[in-house]
Amino acid sequence: MKLRDVTREAKLLLVGIPVALWTLIPIYHMLLFALSTKDEAFSGRLWPAHPTLSNFALVFEQKNYWLNHFWLQLWNSLLIAVAVGAITLFVATGAAFAISRLKVKGGRLVMNLALFTYFIPAAFLAVPMYKAMGTYGLLNSQWALILAMITLASPYAIWVLKQASDKLPVELDEAARIDGASPLQLFRLVYVPLMTPSLVAVGTYALLLAWNEYLYAFLLLSRDTDITLAVALGHFLSADDSPWELLMTTGFIYALPPAAIYYAFKRYMVTGLTAGAVKS
Amino acid sequence: MASVSFRGIEKAYGTTKVIHGISFDIQDGEFMVLVGPSGCGKSTLLRMLAGLEEITGGEIAIDTRVVNEVESKDRDIAMVFQSYALYPHMTVRDNMGFSLRLRKAPQSEIDRRVGDAAKILDLDPYLHRFPRELSGGQRQRVAMGRAIVRDPKVFLFDEPLSNLDAKLRVAMRAEIKALHQRLKTTTVYVTHDQIEAMTMADRIVVMHDGVIEQIGAPLELYDHPDNLFVAQFIGSPAMNIVNGTLRRAGPAAYVEAAVGVRWPVGAGAGVDGEAVALGVRPEHLGITVPGGDAVSAEIIVVEPTGAETELVLQVGGEKVLLVTHGRPEVRPGDRIGLALDPARLHLFDRTSGRRLTS
Repeated sequence: MKLRDVTREAKLLLVGIPVALWTLIPIYHMLLFALSTKDEAFSGRLWPAHPTLSNFALVFEQKNYWLNHFWLQLWNSLLIAVAVGAITLFVATGAAFAISRLKVKGGRLVMNLALFTYFIPAAFLAVPMYKAMGTYGLLNSQWALILAMITLASPYAIWVLKQASDKLPVELDEAARIDGASPLQLFRLVYVPLMTPSLVAVGTYALLLAWNEYLYAFLLLSRDTDITLAVALGHFLSADDSPWELLMTTGFIYALPPAAIYYAFKRYMVTGLTAGAVKS
Repeated sequence: MASVSFRGIEKAYGTTKVIHGISFDIQDGEFMVLVGPSGCGKSTLLRMLAGLEEITGGEIAIDTRVVNEVESKDRDIAMVFQSYALYPHMTVRDNMGFSLRLRKAPQSEIDRRVGDAAKILDLDPYLHRFPRELSGGQRQRVAMGRAIVRDPKVFLFDEPLSNLDAKLRVAMRAEIKALHQRLKTTTVYVTHDQIEAMTMADRIVVMHDGVIEQIGAPLELYDHPDNLFVAQFIGSPAMNIVNGTLRRAGPAAYVEAAVGVRWPVGAGAGVDGEAVALGVRPEHLGITVPGGDAVSAEIIVVEPTGAETELVLQVGGEKVLLVTHGRPEVRPGDRIGLALDPARLHLFDRTSGRRLTS
């Protein structure tokens, strides 16, 4: 190993170690609570003296006031996340195809408006969104949250997909046109198969955005049987004597699906979201 | 098979006009090459024929049917792109059969036609591969295969060999030509490479700045260029051009270049005192003893290539190239006379660039 390589490695470590600690300590903390009994949770030890899985059992069996609807709320989270991922993908793919490949009029305007939406923080839009959903009579319906999350996720999804589409050579479309493909056939037989990595990445992005959402879910849904697990976790804190070990256990369980999804689609996430950013 | 005709074709992007009224006909079964420097409009013309560009003015007809408003897919044409434009996610077999699949042809017919095309192009062993697993030449052949499978009225080629290395280009050139001789399908081929044009074409259309400079068979363009542009564009190495003034002395004429250098041009064409450009191809110059009427030249560089020798000469103020077969005994610094055959000289009007005819 040359000296230059050593210093390079050292610099990377210097950045990498703090980032790793920053990420891992809260997770470690969460796991520590999840494995401790209520009495032991605040003992200040680095590892519980008597690690136990009893908390997990309590959560799975819904044996706590706050966890009465654990399975239903987990299902709500999943349903909403998958719906948001799928519908966002449908909307964004259609928009990107129309703007980038079919060159529809006004495409540039749509792209600029999409970008513009990010000048306003999503939190500012929460109350107007609440009013809008009220107007449409969607409050307390899971559609309200699904629609709101699609609204938040689509602009970014359209941008990423448009950039990725622009990278597909235009000759492919022309060849397909001469071969006799209609726009829909072009979309189905050429465009979508070639965009798969970006589509997986964008779909995952929207899905995780909805899975992790708290504010909008909190505002738009209120019945215990409608809310997502993220909101239910928040409810833990409304008591004076919160069962921290159960909160952390549920949180830990809640964090597992995103980690699994990310791990499964890791390959697509990196190439898909950076597609178009650099010349490959 | 079909004929193609362009009638007063114009193309404008906004207010910028890039093609200024082009008319010519392509015969049934002809191999027509459109050649010209980049930006001359040759690709645009081809893309208008393909239906990929709007036609601003004029008419394009395939056989007798005007196709201005006809969709690409209904024009019965097939196109080979410079970048091949193979579908990356489909195997060679699927790439070649794609157009038939879209037309809902029965699977047995798709298999048969793809099989036939693969046989013609020696692609049999590669049918199950993806484009990324093929070499440049193989991809090029798949692109041609995709065109053949459709059995179109007209083949369109848009600079199909530009992405290949020099050696492969020569090989593919011969393959495309052989393919045309076998299938006899009307072909329109766009290139910027005049050698490709010369070697492949039945007839060549030389284009420049959106107009046609000359149409003709390859050797016709070579032997009788209509104007200075064609004279300099066709032929490699390029034709020598010497600027001077035409002088008539009795029955003979000569071109007086800058500092009293006189190029005898036989009877010549044009009038006394006219500003002309004299064109002479390097291989039409010969070496003779200096003195007398012969144009005197000094050898600057000697470049033997084996079969031929190229001499860079200084004649008056101008550099002139001479190509001769064999290996003359000359060295840089030597003085020689130039042997000229007046029948092989070309005289052009210097202002209009047109060929002068007597």
